[in-house]
Amino acid sequence: MLSYGTQVVGGVRPGKAGEMVEGRPVFNSVADAKAELGPIDITTIYVPPFAAKEAFLEAIESDIPLINTIVERIPIKDTAYCLAAAKERGIRIIGPSSLGFIAPGIGRIGVVGGPKELADQIFQPGSIGIISRSGGMTNEVSWQIRKAGMGQSTAVHVGGDLLMGTTYADLLEMFEQDIQTRAVVIYGEHGGSYEFEIVNMILQKRFTKPLAIYIGGKFTKVLPEGINIGHAGAIVARGQGAEEKSAALASVGVMIAQTYEDLVQLVQPYA
Amino acid sequence: MNLYEFEGKALFEKYGIKIPKGVVIRRGDNVDSHFESLNSFDVVVKAQVLSGKRGKNNAIRFCSGKDEIKEAVEDLFSMEVRGQYVASVRIEEKLSILSEHYVSITYDTNAKQPVLIYSEEGGMDIEDVDESKIYKCLLDISNEKLELKDADFLGESLQHIFQSLWNCFLKEDCRVVEINPLVKTLENAWVAADAKIALDDDAFFRHEDWETFEPRTMMGRQPTDREIAVQEIDKGEKYYQGTAGKYIEFDGDVALILNGGGASIANMDALMDVGLQAANYTEYSGNPPREKVYQLAKIVLSKPGLRGLWMCGVVANFTNMKETFLGIIDALDEVQPRYPIVVRRDGPESAEAFALVEECKKRNSLNMQVFGKETSMTESARILAEAIHKQ
Repeated sequence: MLSYGTQVVGGVRPGKAGEMVEGRPVFNSVADAKAELGPIDITTIYVPPFAAKEAFLEAIESDIPLINTIVERIPIKDTAYCLAAAKERGIRIIGPSSLGFIAPGIGRIGVVGGPKELADQIFQPGSIGIISRSGGMTNEVSWQIRKAGMGQSTAVHVGGDLLMGTTYADLLEMFEQDIQTRAVVIYGEHGGSYEFEIVNMILQKRFTKPLAIYIGGKFTKVLPEGINIGHAGAIVARGQGAEEKSAALASVGVMIAQTYEDLVQLVQPYA
Repeated sequence: MNLYEFEGKALFEKYGIKIPKGVVIRRGDNVDSHFESLNSFDVVVKAQVLSGKRGKNNAIRFCSGKDEIKEAVEDLFSMEVRGQYVASVRIEEKLSILSEHYVSITYDTNAKQPVLIYSEEGGMDIEDVDESKIYKCLLDISNEKLELKDADFLGESLQHIFQSLWNCFLKEDCRVVEINPLVKTLENAWVAADAKIALDDDAFFRHEDWETFEPRTMMGRQPTDREIAVQEIDKGEKYYQGTAGKYIEFDGDVALILNGGGASIANMDALMDVGLQAANYTEYSGNPPREKVYQLAKIVLSKPGLRGLWMCGVVANFTNMKETFLGIIDALDEVQPRYPIVVRRDGPESAEAFALVEECKKRNSLNMQVFGKETSMTESARILAEAIHKQ
């Protein structure tokens, strides 16, 4: 994050107060950090799954307005609890299981793009907004965009859990407001019903920019009922498979990609 | 993890929800000695499988008399239910049914909170029940006391059952609890005639008792030896748990070693689009150590009848290419496959990794093509299909 220009002001690890990491101070608690450093805009949480709930609640109680976490395999009950607590205080969570997000040339939270040299090969400032359920595909789709000569405004890995702190619809609302963004691509997955929120948004004209989407998981229709592959969120629900979602989205003018590489051609005219 | 009916019912009982009196028969058990404890020959015999729709698939039999019961048990063990292996059979007392209702609690992904769903019209065709006859109420995850809106019509005894179900949902870290049908008997008692529970695998760390559940796959069949072997490799060191743990066997002949949950799903689609059939679904994610990747790759390559190997992943964010490919190379050196291999991958330290892979290809004379990020994943699927068809 530091090498990519993010203004990291400090870290928190219980029992390690007073130490310095990369020239930044470490605190025992989020509250201590806030008392010392003043307002903090964003926190990103890296802890084992069993400690995630407490870490979240600490950040929420300290009113950090934006919380990201990479932590995978957080029990869904803990996630639901934290999302409810965050909502009560108007706090946004991106994740769980989110590698973070990147505004090329400006900064990043988390590890999207990997080491700076690699990130610089994949990301350059541009007009395409990127949303992905998959961390790897955030990079891969961003790379395909770059390879075709375009750049990204912001790329966000929303995480693959069944419960998402920030959904496609939440981000599309922000991309709608963002002047730099001219079109958005989404890498989605089968399961869950978040894509149907997009349909409503477009009908209500809350999102009006060109949008292309790829929904992975067509192959699951050949699997036995109830199988769960890949991300926990990808549980095939009746009437909410990849094909049903594609049909609903196409009906409101969303461009549907047959392969993830097709996303590039679909948005190129609008870049 | 999805529970069998008898496991679900045991949990319901633990939380005070009444279930029919019954016994579980496993393959090879002596049927007589078991059902005698029921003191009744008027029973329901139910195949224990993870699929729904058992009634419509002849997996539930109403019997009276010893011979009929024994015949039903034998018959159920000899069949597959919607492609699923019958692990065991539950024999239970027949209920005297006044009415059949439906109740479940699960997570509503849009509202991001649990939701209770109830209908007076339960039973086999719950999917077809009209929306107007379905009661839904979002639940507050931080409130152990169940508070239902506009629920006066439910009555006290039913609300009491729902509270027990909510306790079970919360305390047992469930993703789904469902009772269908929830039976009202002629004696005016509420009894859970069926049980469908999905536990949250991610909460395993706080439920040591879950270790005692018998192994199962989501495929509804017994796990294969190779599937069990992969689960074993993933145990090991806590820090790396979950990084190399996916291996599901299919009927096809193209071995897969994929990377990342999302990309692997896109790649399964791509494989299907080029007309190839997967021998397995395998992915490793995160940053697994060399040894783990080696063991995983060796198991993938050990399946008989393979005609190709596809190792495909995204431009990685942080997976170390060199470390992970060293594990792959160890396995290739040992197995030396003769069928076509296509690799598509990129990420940190990929130049070093590719140089090592090239050396491995040379010393083993492998029919192998290696691509970085300039070739897309879908393109590499096409290349593999061509190579296999050329053979």
